[in-house]
Amino acid sequence: MSDLQTQTLVPQLDTIFPDWVRPDDRAGYQGYIVETEHLLAVAKALRDTYGYDLLSSVTGVDYLPEGKLEVVYHVFRTTGGPIFVYKVQVPRDNPVVPSLVPLYPGAELQEREAYDLLGIRFEGHPDLRRILTWEGFAGHPLRKDWHEPYFEEEAKPYKSRWPEGQVRRAEDLNPFADNVDYPAGFDPESLVPDADDTLYKTLFRVQQAQHPEIKTDAIVVNLGPQHPSTHGVFRMVALLEGEKILDLKPVMGYLHRNHEKIAERNTFLQNMPFTDRLDYIASMSNNFAYALAVEKLMGVQPPERAEYIRVIMAELTRIVSHFIAVGFLLNDLGAFFTPSLYGIKERELIVDIFEMVSGSRMMCNYFRFGGLARDMSPEAVQKTKELVNDRLPRKIDEFDRYLTENEIVRQRCEGVGVLTPEDAIALSATGPVLRASGVPYDVRRAEPYSIYDRFEFDVAYGLHGDIYDRYLVRMEEMRQSVRILKQALRDLPEGPIMTGKPAYQVRVPAGESYGRVEGPKGELGFYLVSNGKPNPWRYHVRAPTFINLTSLAPMSRGGKVADVVAILGSIDIVLGEVDR
Amino acid sequence: MSFWIDPINFVIAWLKGLLESWGLQPGLVTFVMYLIGAFVTTLLAMLLVVFLIWLERKLIGRVQDRLGPNRLGPWGIFQTFADMLKIFTKEHITPDGADGVAYNLAPVISVGAVLMVWAVIPFTATVVGVDFNAGVLYLMAVGALGEMGVILAGWGSNNKYAMLAAFRAVAQLISYEVPMVLALMIPVMFTGSMSLQALVKEQDIWFIFLAPVAALIFFISSIAEVGRTPFDLVESESELVSGFNIEYSGLKFGMFYVADFLHAFTISLLFAALYLGGWRGPGAEQYPMLGFVYFALKTAVVYFIGILMRASLPRFRIDQMMDLNWKYLTPLALVLVAATAVAGKIVPAEMAGLRLVVMLALNGIIFAAADRLMTRRRSARRQVAQAPRPVAHYVQPAPTDPGD
Repeated sequence: MSDLQTQTLVPQLDTIFPDWVRPDDRAGYQGYIVETEHLLAVAKALRDTYGYDLLSSVTGVDYLPEGKLEVVYHVFRTTGGPIFVYKVQVPRDNPVVPSLVPLYPGAELQEREAYDLLGIRFEGHPDLRRILTWEGFAGHPLRKDWHEPYFEEEAKPYKSRWPEGQVRRAEDLNPFADNVDYPAGFDPESLVPDADDTLYKTLFRVQQAQHPEIKTDAIVVNLGPQHPSTHGVFRMVALLEGEKILDLKPVMGYLHRNHEKIAERNTFLQNMPFTDRLDYIASMSNNFAYALAVEKLMGVQPPERAEYIRVIMAELTRIVSHFIAVGFLLNDLGAFFTPSLYGIKERELIVDIFEMVSGSRMMCNYFRFGGLARDMSPEAVQKTKELVNDRLPRKIDEFDRYLTENEIVRQRCEGVGVLTPEDAIALSATGPVLRASGVPYDVRRAEPYSIYDRFEFDVAYGLHGDIYDRYLVRMEEMRQSVRILKQALRDLPEGPIMTGKPAYQVRVPAGESYGRVEGPKGELGFYLVSNGKPNPWRYHVRAPTFINLTSLAPMSRGGKVADVVAILGSIDIVLGEVDR
Repeated sequence: MSFWIDPINFVIAWLKGLLESWGLQPGLVTFVMYLIGAFVTTLLAMLLVVFLIWLERKLIGRVQDRLGPNRLGPWGIFQTFADMLKIFTKEHITPDGADGVAYNLAPVISVGAVLMVWAVIPFTATVVGVDFNAGVLYLMAVGALGEMGVILAGWGSNNKYAMLAAFRAVAQLISYEVPMVLALMIPVMFTGSMSLQALVKEQDIWFIFLAPVAALIFFISSIAEVGRTPFDLVESESELVSGFNIEYSGLKFGMFYVADFLHAFTISLLFAALYLGGWRGPGAEQYPMLGFVYFALKTAVVYFIGILMRASLPRFRIDQMMDLNWKYLTPLALVLVAATAVAGKIVPAEMAGLRLVVMLALNGIIFAAADRLMTRRRSARRQVAQAPRPVAHYVQPAPTDPGD
């Protein structure tokens, strides 16, 4: 069998590795279950022989009734095609899985997250520390038997707290004792907060040998959590030699609220507004991915008009997000807010449209399973048409004219923060970061969802993999979005916007599904497991900027302090999504 | 001398007469007069800053499509007073481990150094603090003192960001003095004097026409000297939070803030005096106050360009800034000094028209050559990572592979 053929086939793992792999035959599940000890061998074969070169998502599921923890891997080919899923199962009391970091360095942060939230230990991981919660956190919150203080019930909707009409809050009666869950033998008075020694020890120190007569010392500088250009409460610990970065570690979790645990308590529909809060710049696109995942489980298809409106909203969101990304990248380069304010001005006009259709400017909560919350009014369509046909292309050109050829912008961006295509794939980068590195992978083309196969557009990509290319890719993507919008507005049909009747409680059959869209910042995926109850058993967000941050340190090493800030700006993170 | 022709000197003469009529010794009178002059100049400069801060905020607001301050007073002009009141009432914090002397001295030096420059600036034909014949030398010496403030602040604050900013300040401010001094040499060569008043008086043709490239170099390096965009590395907000003044609060921070604005304005004053003919203009000799207006207008134009740059340009990186200085500006300035000296000797000052043409042509040639060299280096910055890959497209899941 030729190499090319192998690289386009979907491998049937259970016949290739009959002793190591069995198909996942639970109802509603796909993929294969791999024996834990053979995981590395199977993953390597999949990567090297079958071309599944990008590890999209690593997450865990706690199957409490079966007493198992499952680690789920999603991989895809950067040449296009559907996503491939395989899993390993380990006992809950001793969950040890070999780490995939040696094969896919992009698994680093995701495995740390799975360790933090589910307590799965990844053997061979270079730096397995907690990532979203703090070092002294007791327990692993995503385990189904972990309960928070003030725990009320397993699943919403909660019963009334005072069914007899008598207001009696548990927290008023007993503020400290029973509701605070301390580990056995823990004395809160004697707690010494972690001084980040473990973190600082992981920084790679270079011994100075060239000039033994001059004693030099590298200094550790904390950029963040309160810092003007970390785009939120993000922290980078940098080891500096003068202005040069020797090593860097991203530290996150300051905005952590355990989104996934809360979402597992919520009903399916209650999660729709909750996804808005992930990437709060691009709420429509979060809605889109979540709706796709649930619709896959339910097996419903939204009507034509709803599909078109969905695409219109998603593309408008992409333009908003890229305007903000480009504007704030310039801010990070030192421009005094002017480009970001110019971007925000256009955003306001688009957000006006969101308000017209959904009633909210930022937290749109517009999509429903099998359709949309409301129809798009003719005025909104008219306004979008005016914006798309006249103003937006003009304003994108204006941005282009002001910024693209600016000598300082080019000096600061060209050849800085270079990510080679091999590295970008290995580090699981997606979205503009991956495309700027010369890998034209766009989910809208590679595995078209919704009705994206009907539109004509080009996938923007760069060839240098530096900050400048990421900037150019974003500019070009805005133009392509305008192109898609023009086609969608032209063809927008009349008709219903919802399949079936709107319902507060949807019936979701048992099974798993992975819905992914090309979000403005990268591949946004929702991995859902349902057990037939009104609440998802597992709800995992593949947050694109969280995973793109894996490539921050490799890009920054050897650069200057000023470069790190620009590189971070070019990744375009949103902390609501990174910390979840 | 009438009040209406030269009010400032009228007042000075009146005061002098008053003091002498009290029977004070002439030496003491001069001393008191200088003291009053220094006090008034300082006061005016400080009051000017109040206006400058408002102006800058308003202008940047307009560039950014906003209104800028608009609540307090007409067009928000009292906004700065409110800000000042706020800053006066703030607590003075000295961080743990700060070097007390350095920490507290730094803001004073910063403001003082800028104000000292005002001593030698000729505001009109008759009004100049001290017209002494090493004015340009004095400017450079006092300018270096301002850097001292930045370095002391960075060192004394016991903060890593401030320390990094101090490193940058040392590198940047001292480097940019070199092309600045070289660019100042050219007007001095034309004039044959280092007195600023003499420099202004000599400009029958503004020096910006005789030495446009030197003017450009002076403008760029003076912006770097002030530490404004695109050379605001010392207080780069996006990297070092606010740089050397990160640990300062209240009035001490306010002094840095004032020093920053005043320095920017002072540099515009100098540019106007050195290259735009200072107070010169029709009728300025007879009516000195008219010269003051011309000078203010010219300064405003230069300052306005500075604000536009601040509102629109991103920042250089430290190595790029040093690169620009040592690899372009300094050699360019050296070449320019040599060429101007030779050309100035060949074409005597009496043939003003010919001189202007020769100088313009010379500057044009030198600038074009420098630009050419700069453009050539630009192309080597980045490499193509690889040949373009095909765009990822959907592949229909093939009949599954039964395995080899």
